Amino acid sequence: MRVGEPRAAEPEQLTAGLRAGIGYATAHHGELLQGVFDDGTGRLRRALVTMPLPGRGSRVVFYPSQSHWGVVGPPGLTKSRRAAIYALREFAGHPSPAKGGRVEITSNVPRGIGMGSSTSDVTATIKAVADYHGVSLSVEEIGRLAVLAEIASDSVMIDDRVVLFAHRDGLVLETFGHRLPPMVVVGCDTAPGQVVETLGLPPADYSDREAGEFQVLRGALRRAIALEDVALLGKVATASARINQRYLPKPGLEALIELGLRHGAVGLQIAHSGTVAGLIFDPRQPRATLDGCVLRIEQLGFEVTDVIEPAHVLPPRAAHRAAS
Amino acid sequence: MTIRGSFGEATDAYQLPRLVRLAPNLYAACFTLMKMVPARFILRRAAEQGLLEAGTVIVETTSGTFGLALAMQAVHLDRRLILVSDPVIDERLYRRLTDLGAVVERVTAAQGRVAGGYQAARLARLEAIMADLDAAFCPWQYSNPDNPRAYSAVAEYFLECLGQIDCIVGPVGSGGSMCGTVTHVRALLPECRAIGVDSHSSVLFGQPDGPRELRGMGMSLMPDNLDHRVFDQVHWTAPAPAYRATRQLHQRHALFMGPSSGAAYLAARWWAGANPDALTVVMMPDEGYRYQDTVYDDDWLAERGHLNEALPAGPVMIDDPGQPAGSWMVFDWARRSYDEVMSPSRPSAVTADGGSR
Repeated sequence: MRVGEPRAAEPEQLTAGLRAGIGYATAHHGELLQGVFDDGTGRLRRALVTMPLPGRGSRVVFYPSQSHWGVVGPPGLTKSRRAAIYALREFAGHPSPAKGGRVEITSNVPRGIGMGSSTSDVTATIKAVADYHGVSLSVEEIGRLAVLAEIASDSVMIDDRVVLFAHRDGLVLETFGHRLPPMVVVGCDTAPGQVVETLGLPPADYSDREAGEFQVLRGALRRAIALEDVALLGKVATASARINQRYLPKPGLEALIELGLRHGAVGLQIAHSGTVAGLIFDPRQPRATLDGCVLRIEQLGFEVTDVIEPAHVLPPRAAHRAAS
Repeated sequence: MTIRGSFGEATDAYQLPRLVRLAPNLYAACFTLMKMVPARFILRRAAEQGLLEAGTVIVETTSGTFGLALAMQAVHLDRRLILVSDPVIDERLYRRLTDLGAVVERVTAAQGRVAGGYQAARLARLEAIMADLDAAFCPWQYSNPDNPRAYSAVAEYFLECLGQIDCIVGPVGSGGSMCGTVTHVRALLPECRAIGVDSHSSVLFGQPDGPRELRGMGMSLMPDNLDHRVFDQVHWTAPAPAYRATRQLHQRHALFMGPSSGAAYLAARWWAGANPDALTVVMMPDEGYRYQDTVYDDDWLAERGHLNEALPAGPVMIDDPGQPAGSWMVFDWARRSYDEVMSPSRPSAVTADGGSR
């Protein structure tokens, strides 16, 4: 049987005595910027800047098998199974490679609203398989495998810097800095109950003019991150959301931007393939205005999901323990 | 997160301007050769699209710096270039162009005595040349949408350097630099104002056509790349105030730029002074070398009477672009189309501060 055609293996068929591998990956809250960008050779590539969501994520345990090919996992999560298969292929030839195994996922990421549930599953799976093999993959290698498994992937695996990530090529086009400026993001679901199937969406067909606009937003974001200018970052995110309204319209986007402006938000970020959106605030803003904003968002019929402070991301190890 | 590096080719090095602070709220964007931005972009894009095969000849009508930029890029691309010019082409520029391998065809003074002047005569000659060639590519700087589009790189640079821009001032010719830069900046900052600087007897913003001494701005024919709805305000300057401002820019700020830069500086200094809280950027398209025997020569200025009048403290506000009044004028264009401004029967749609993209 070829690898890649998973076959059910019962737990008792798993080889006894092999240690399991563990991996953890955070979710994200959509993007700060998404469009097409010059990759440095004059070629335009689809790329994005991920808005991390440190409070949510996926923990994966990989139980290896040396007697059975194929990988089994939770039903419906074929991308994670595929990720495990690609990762196993990557380690073929390593000492004591597993033939297959079982993937067990524990996740607190809502599915189908643009928080990267499948990306965090996939990333954690790759890390778990690598962990079993005692190998530490570079984030670029994880990104490449994640894109293979998912076709398009946010850059949650790159958790030590802010990057412009070509999400269909698994390439870092630019590193903006080591962290985002301090900010508070009030996240909400603009279409509660509605689920977006990422792979079912046609890729946005950006115009030449929009490609030029994304180039300008990239320059502004470079400055915003280097100088920790959250107001400028907010403008970049709002502009990106507005350009992308043509492709996956968010209901009530302008109402949300308007509401944010009234409550002192500096901008709005969205999940470009999902229904979540987040109002971005300067953390020096009084907390009371945030609470007022939360109330108004709910009056618009949206569901507040998370209040995110991405600058206070736990170091990866600590986050790992917290979720274990 | 990047370190400074080197350039792969000369035309890349010429692309971006230097931003120099002239006042707390006024920055000059000083280009060595601004036309390099569209020339390089258009030719590289044409090459990518397979429009510049080995035998293809690049042809364009220009008597100025766009031709120089094309000639430089044609060296990198190793393609032949034919430029159609008029007799007033600067002799030093002519030598530089031919040294770069370009063929420069000059229409005669007699051919220029038609409606539309030299610009129309040059276009007719260009079409005849293209008809004779097996494979030709014309950049059409006045109508090619890649001309304004090229300025996304300049807008990116401005926003990376400055973050906030409240007003962009610049001379207008093809419309590419001002429309392109402002439109791209407005993707992030929709409220950013645009002030165009034109010369007297230019048709761009509604004046009757006539002879123009001031080089580098103004036109006898309306270019498609000029989107009038970009502009909040328009200035017209006669040669004398433009030359005086060019010299002041040199004397006070040590910036050695051409007269279209001086004209833009005149308008920008006035606007930035009246709006101290607004961050203003002024486009300065080329350097002063071509004007050393004219604008930078006091005897030449005196002979022509350009030193007779003192520089006006401010522009004359006019309410009809078709009625010139004085050597320096300003009109509230208010992001309207040409027809909205020039046809009084039509209702004007937006106000000075209104209007989105």
